[in-house]
Amino acid sequence: MRRWLACIAALVVLCAAAPTSAFPDKPLELTVLFGAGSAADLLARKLAELAGRDLGQPVAVVNRTGAGGALGYTYVKGQPADGHALVWNSNSVSTAYHAGNMKFDYTAFAGVAALTSEPVSLAVKTDAPWKDVRELLAHAKAHPGAVRVGNSGRGSFTHLVAVALENRAGVKLTHVPFGRELAVTTVLGDKIEASVQLPAEIMAQVTGRQVRVLAVSGEKRLASLPDVPTLKEAGIDLTMTLWRGIALPKGTPAAAIARLERAFTQAANSAEFRDFASRMGAVVDMRGAKEFDEFIARDDREIAALMEQIGLRKQ
Amino acid sequence: MSDLFVALTPANLLACFVGTVLGTIVGVLPGLGPAGAMALVLPLTIKLGPTAGLIMLAGIYYGAMYGGSTTSILVNVPGEAASVVTTIDGYRLARKGRAGAALAIAAIASFVAGTFSVVALQVAAPLVARAALAFGPAEYFALGLLGLVLLANLTGRSRAKSLAMVLLGVMLATVGMDPLGGAVRFTFDLAGAQAGLSFVAVTTGLFGVAEVLASMTEPEAASAVARVKFRELYPSREELRRSVPPMLRGTVLGFLVGLMPGPAATIASFVSYGVEKKVSKHRAELGSGAIEGVAGPEAANNAAAGGGMIPLLSLGLPFTPSTAVLLSGMLLMSVTPGPFLLRDHPRVFWGVIGSFYVGNVMLLLLNLPLVGLFARIATIPPRYLMPAVLVLCAVAAYSDNNNIFDVWVMVAAGIAGWAMRALDFSPAPLVLGLVLGPMLERSLLQALTIARGDIGGLWASWPAAGMLVAAALASVAPAVSALVRRMSRRAV
Repeated sequence: MRRWLACIAALVVLCAAAPTSAFPDKPLELTVLFGAGSAADLLARKLAELAGRDLGQPVAVVNRTGAGGALGYTYVKGQPADGHALVWNSNSVSTAYHAGNMKFDYTAFAGVAALTSEPVSLAVKTDAPWKDVRELLAHAKAHPGAVRVGNSGRGSFTHLVAVALENRAGVKLTHVPFGRELAVTTVLGDKIEASVQLPAEIMAQVTGRQVRVLAVSGEKRLASLPDVPTLKEAGIDLTMTLWRGIALPKGTPAAAIARLERAFTQAANSAEFRDFASRMGAVVDMRGAKEFDEFIARDDREIAALMEQIGLRKQ
Repeated sequence: MSDLFVALTPANLLACFVGTVLGTIVGVLPGLGPAGAMALVLPLTIKLGPTAGLIMLAGIYYGAMYGGSTTSILVNVPGEAASVVTTIDGYRLARKGRAGAALAIAAIASFVAGTFSVVALQVAAPLVARAALAFGPAEYFALGLLGLVLLANLTGRSRAKSLAMVLLGVMLATVGMDPLGGAVRFTFDLAGAQAGLSFVAVTTGLFGVAEVLASMTEPEAASAVARVKFRELYPSREELRRSVPPMLRGTVLGFLVGLMPGPAATIASFVSYGVEKKVSKHRAELGSGAIEGVAGPEAANNAAAGGGMIPLLSLGLPFTPSTAVLLSGMLLMSVTPGPFLLRDHPRVFWGVIGSFYVGNVMLLLLNLPLVGLFARIATIPPRYLMPAVLVLCAVAAYSDNNNIFDVWVMVAAGIAGWAMRALDFSPAPLVLGLVLGPMLERSLLQALTIARGDIGGLWASWPAAGMLVAAALASVAPAVSALVRRMSRRAV
């Protein structure tokens, strides 16, 4: 009987202490919208490991894939806004909304921090006649539609970059949608001329000298592809990167957001993560909570316009 | 070449052992797939360094193919997508009291195929890798169509019923986001359906839940399995002898199918079963508990796992989710697969190849003693076993994508599977449609886009044209032969 009383007393003390105890007071969950082992997944797992150490609570990574990310976004949006349910978000919040896969857009979430970005790489086979991006575009200009470019899916970010490239260069390309890694396979098999992909998906073929990357779409060159110019350097005024960051349901207390922002930006800033990210073809590219929301809003407008152009914009 | 023995250093042996044990567990537990498990241990393997780390990851990859048949045979729940076909004859064998024999044959078949595919990998990798590149979307479309025609009548009862099931499978595969992105179809505004009907949920429902429902409706005495003596747990000489030809055929077929992208191991097991149905001496018994139906497909899915390593190691191309994780692991350890892998990292390359041999022996030694333990599960009375099976199915369906909608899909598939059984429809052709449907749709669209809308692009290459002709011939053959038979009968 006395033992029971002691237990109840301990529980009462614990409950009373709970509101004052620091956030987070239980394990967190980070929803990843893409499959286990994808670049997005591995970056998220590394960050979760590092940030969890700082937060004093484990951050469990759970993959909720499907419908271009809409499934995972819908799940996280439905969770309590107490700072424990996070999503590893990206431009997919805009592509999934405008494609009509979910009924809410980026405004349903509050940004914690943008952490990484990846450019898109334009590649051809090593023995292709085009030595740089201008030669390829000149060929496309002379023969509209003759250059077939493999991307990672209709309405995907890589597809949108190829469409933006068409616009800026004033050429006509044939876009071929592929799923995961098959775009580069088809380039190697001489069935299509070029591919637009995230660098992580093509790094093995670059090292194996099977493909030549003509340009990357980032602001700066990639450390892992030091000889590849940016589109801007090649004289095409286009910069588009796939950003990734942490967001959670709107209405989360500001104190929780601030705590998470500190933990995740520190994790992303660590030498360990920078090195890890660079091997995955990503760069650490940070924006704080406030700046992040404005940044997403701007990015969303650009994406909406491009999706409108290819006839995939539903809302 | 002497670097092969790198695999025998104590640290690497331990890495191989841990990997293969984890792989077996992943295979045994339905729902948890090798790709997810590999992603989970990836951070740990990076700390081990490239050789030991990759040996452990690879161990999970091929180890999962060993354990996959366990629940298929014991309780009719496919432990891995590639073990769906194994349920057909494996579970029948278990009901006859031959669970031990089926499990042991599955382990031996996996060992034979695993070892053969390493030899082939070592000898023919660069050559075969080039051939894999010759296949583009048009060729995959033709191959998928040929597969659909040849394998539709897999269980060989009513052709019309099988065809209806295949088409239903293809139709169900169109639910959700289309395979190339862009459009969401047939979801009826259910958010959960956007990802499509989960393959794991549908198969655990059609096979596992349907079995639970069936056992509820029949008297317990009928569903109890006869107790067997320990000596009879292992395959008889007759069973071993009958398993050899299907194992060898399954190995060669599986290895070749493994070179293609998509769910190669699953398709390989279907192809192997289809071939046995056509050429096996005991083909009449297939479907009612023939050991060939376990030996062939289980060899095929393991050989496909080996074949899938070729595009990865020699070209750096991951064709499956599991090899994609392996590629990520390699990149993170600064080992880039591709034509220069052998030149730049000979110790890593040979160490991993060597570990395949070691790992396959370990898996055989690990799995054979487990047979005795597992086989006892089949003898548990249904009133205790079936509720546990139902829980196992629900966990599997949920953990595939952490989506509760998938559990409801599983329940619906279970009821449908039970009804199909009552009406004598086999669920296997439906699963075939579910596997091949997205591949057909995707490659058709891609091939047409590449040919800029010209339908001739579908048969522009010799392999594609050849396979399309074969598919056309195969689809009219039964009608023609029936006609000839009728004519000749009339002539007499």
